[in-house]
Amino acid sequence: MPHDLNRALNPKTVVVVGSKRADGYMWLRNYAPFGERDGCKLYSVQIDPNEIPGIEAMGVTNFTSLADVPGDVDYAMLAVPRQVATRVMTDCAKKQVCGVALFTSGFAETGEADATAMQDQLLQIATDGGIALIGPNCMGLYNRKLGIRQSGDQGHGDGGEVGFIGQSGTHSINFGLVGEQHGVRVSTSISIGNAIILDVPDYLDYLADDADTKVIAMYIEGVKDGPRFVQSLRRAASMKPVVVWKGGVTDAGARATASHTGSLATEQAVFSAIVRQAGAIEAHSLEDTIDVVKALLYAKPSTGRRMGLMAMTGGQSVVITDAFVGAGLDVPRLSDASYAELGSFFNIVGGSFQNPLDMGGTIGFGGSAETLTRLFDILERDENVDGIAMEMASGFLARMWQANPVSLDGLLDTLAAHKEKSSKPFAAVLQPQHVEDVVRQARVRVQERGIAVFASFERAAGALSRAIAYHRFRAGLD
Amino acid sequence: MGNAIIEAARKDGRTILSEIEAKQLLEQAGVPVSPARLATTKDDAVKMANELGYPIVLKIVSPQITHKSDVGGVALGLTSAEDVGAAFERVVANAKKAEPGATIEGVAVQRMEKQGTEVIVGMTTDAQFGPVMMFGLGGVMVEILKDVAFRVVPLNERDARQMIHEIKGYPVLEGFRGSDPADIAKLEALLLKVSSFIEANPDVAELDLNPVFAYKDGAIAVDARVVLKN
Repeated sequence: MPHDLNRALNPKTVVVVGSKRADGYMWLRNYAPFGERDGCKLYSVQIDPNEIPGIEAMGVTNFTSLADVPGDVDYAMLAVPRQVATRVMTDCAKKQVCGVALFTSGFAETGEADATAMQDQLLQIATDGGIALIGPNCMGLYNRKLGIRQSGDQGHGDGGEVGFIGQSGTHSINFGLVGEQHGVRVSTSISIGNAIILDVPDYLDYLADDADTKVIAMYIEGVKDGPRFVQSLRRAASMKPVVVWKGGVTDAGARATASHTGSLATEQAVFSAIVRQAGAIEAHSLEDTIDVVKALLYAKPSTGRRMGLMAMTGGQSVVITDAFVGAGLDVPRLSDASYAELGSFFNIVGGSFQNPLDMGGTIGFGGSAETLTRLFDILERDENVDGIAMEMASGFLARMWQANPVSLDGLLDTLAAHKEKSSKPFAAVLQPQHVEDVVRQARVRVQERGIAVFASFERAAGALSRAIAYHRFRAGLD
Repeated sequence: MGNAIIEAARKDGRTILSEIEAKQLLEQAGVPVSPARLATTKDDAVKMANELGYPIVLKIVSPQITHKSDVGGVALGLTSAEDVGAAFERVVANAKKAEPGATIEGVAVQRMEKQGTEVIVGMTTDAQFGPVMMFGLGGVMVEILKDVAFRVVPLNERDARQMIHEIKGYPVLEGFRGSDPADIAKLEALLLKVSSFIEANPDVAELDLNPVFAYKDGAIAVDARVVLKN
C-alpha cells in the first residue's frame, strides 16, 4: 500500500506522544502555532501523571492512550523512551496513524546489535501497519504554513517556496532558520533521520510533485539505493531546480581495484558526476546551498553567461571581475552602442566604462537614481550582456543608510524598478565590510524587494553561475 | 556478443582478460581499437602483419611474463615481412632464455599506431551506483592531476559531450601550440560505444583504454584492459 505522504505532511490532526517538562515540552511548543490554527487539532498523549498538568496548562488536551484520541490522526511525533518505542508504534498501527515521525534515537546508528534489532522491529510494525514512518532519530516535519516546526525558533504563517530534505536534524533546522534570514523560506522540510521506511527518493518524489515547492534543496551524507536515488533525482531535476549539499566528502582511502579508472573513481567524484548528470546542482555548505537557492528564486532565469558588472571603485571593479570569471562566467566588451552612449555622460575621472562600469564618480556616492537607472537601461539593452551584478558599496554607504534610511529606500526603488522591467538576472552584492550590523538590516530590506543579494562577489558569482548552468542544462545547451 | 571470450576466461578461472581477448571483445562491440592477433608461428605472424598493415609491433604472450620489454619480449617499428619474421624468432628466443619455465602462448601481433593526443577512457563498478565511466587526458594529466570526468552508465550524447568538455585540460584537445585538434565527435562516439558495450556485458567489472590516441580525424584505443566480476 503506498503511503499517503500528502496527508502525513499536510495534517489536520496531530498528536505528540511523550512531551515532557524536562525538555520544556519542546514538541508541543514547536507545534503550538499548528494548534492555534482554525480546523487543526493538536493533542498530547502522555501517561505520566506528573507531566500532564504542565501539558494541560499549555492548553493542549492530553490523553493517556493513543486509542482515546478522537477521530483520525494524520501525523504523530513520538518522543518516547527507546524502550517503549515499539509499543507506541504498535499503538500507532492500531490507530491507523497516517504518518509517524520518531524523534527517539539510539537505534541502528549506535551500531549495537540489540538497538539494531529494535529498529528492525519498528520497521516491521510500521510496514505491517502501513505507516509512513519518518526517522527514527529525526526532527520530523517542518511545514511553515501549518506551523509544524522542527524548532520553536522557526518561522510560521505564510508558506515558503523551498522544499528541504535533511539527513541531519541540525542542518534541517538551520536551513529553515538561516534561510529565512536570506529570504529563503521553507514550504516543506523533512529531517529524515535513519530513514528506515521513507527515504530520500520518497521525499524527492513528493517535493517534485508539490505545487508550493519551487526549488528543492537537500543535505545528505549517504545513499542507500543508488539507482533509485538517481531515478528520483533525475525526475525531480527535470521538473524544478534541485540543490544537493553532500556532507562527508573525505574519501575513506582508495578502493581495492585492478584498474586505473577504479583508483580514480572516489566516492566524491562519482557523486558529483551523478548530480551533474541528473541536471541537479551541487552545493558545499549551508551558506552555499542558501545562496544558490536564492539565485534560483530571485534572479531571472537565464542561459547566457555574459555578465555586465557594476562597481563603485577601481579596486572593486577588478575583483568583481576576478570573482565572476573565476566562477566560469564571461565579462565581455559591451556593444558599440553602449560605449557611444556611455561616452556621452560617463564621468571617466577616477572611473571607467569598459566592463565593469566603475561608476562611483558618475552616479555619485549618494547614488543618483536617474543616472543609475540610465546605466541599468544601457546594460539591459546591450546584446553582449546576459546578466547584471552590482556592488552596493556598503563600506561607503551603510552609515549613511543608517543615519538617513530614506537614502537606502531611494536606491532600493531604483534596483526594484530595474528588476521589474529587466529580463536579465540581477544580483546585488552587499559586503559586511566594517559595518556588519548595519548591512545586516540593509540586506533584509534588499531582500524584501525581491532582489537576490549576496555577501561577497564570490558568493554572488558562484550562485549565479550554478543557476545559469541549471537553466542551460534544462534548455539542452550544455 | 563477446560471450565466447568471457566464457573462455571464466572456464580458466580468470577475471583478467589478456590484451588480445580484451581487444577482440571491444572490436566486436564496435569500439575502435588497434587490433591485436595471437600468432603461434612465424608464418602466422607474417600473415597477420600483412593483414594489419605496417609498421607492426610484436609482444610476447605468456602468463608468467608481465614485464615483457625487460626480457626482450617486445619488438617495435617493424616495417616489412622479413623484419616481422626475424623479430618473431628473436622475441620467442629472448623470452625462453629469460624465463626458461614460462609457458609461451605465442606472440601478439599489432599495428603500431601513429602517436596522437593521449586520452584515457575507463569504467569501474561503483558499489552504490553501478558502472561508472571515466574520461581524461593521458599521461601526467591523469596520473598526477587526476583531471578526469565521470558519468554513470548508460551515457547519452550530452553526457559524453560534457565529460570531454568538463576536464581542465580540454584546451589540449582543441589543439595546443600548433598541434592538431582532436576529433571530439569521434571521442564522443567512442565513449557511447563503450557505454553500450558495458550495458551489454554486465560481467565486466572494470575497463581501461589507456591510452586512446585522438587524431584530427578519428580516435583509436591502443591498449585495453578488461577485468571481469568475481
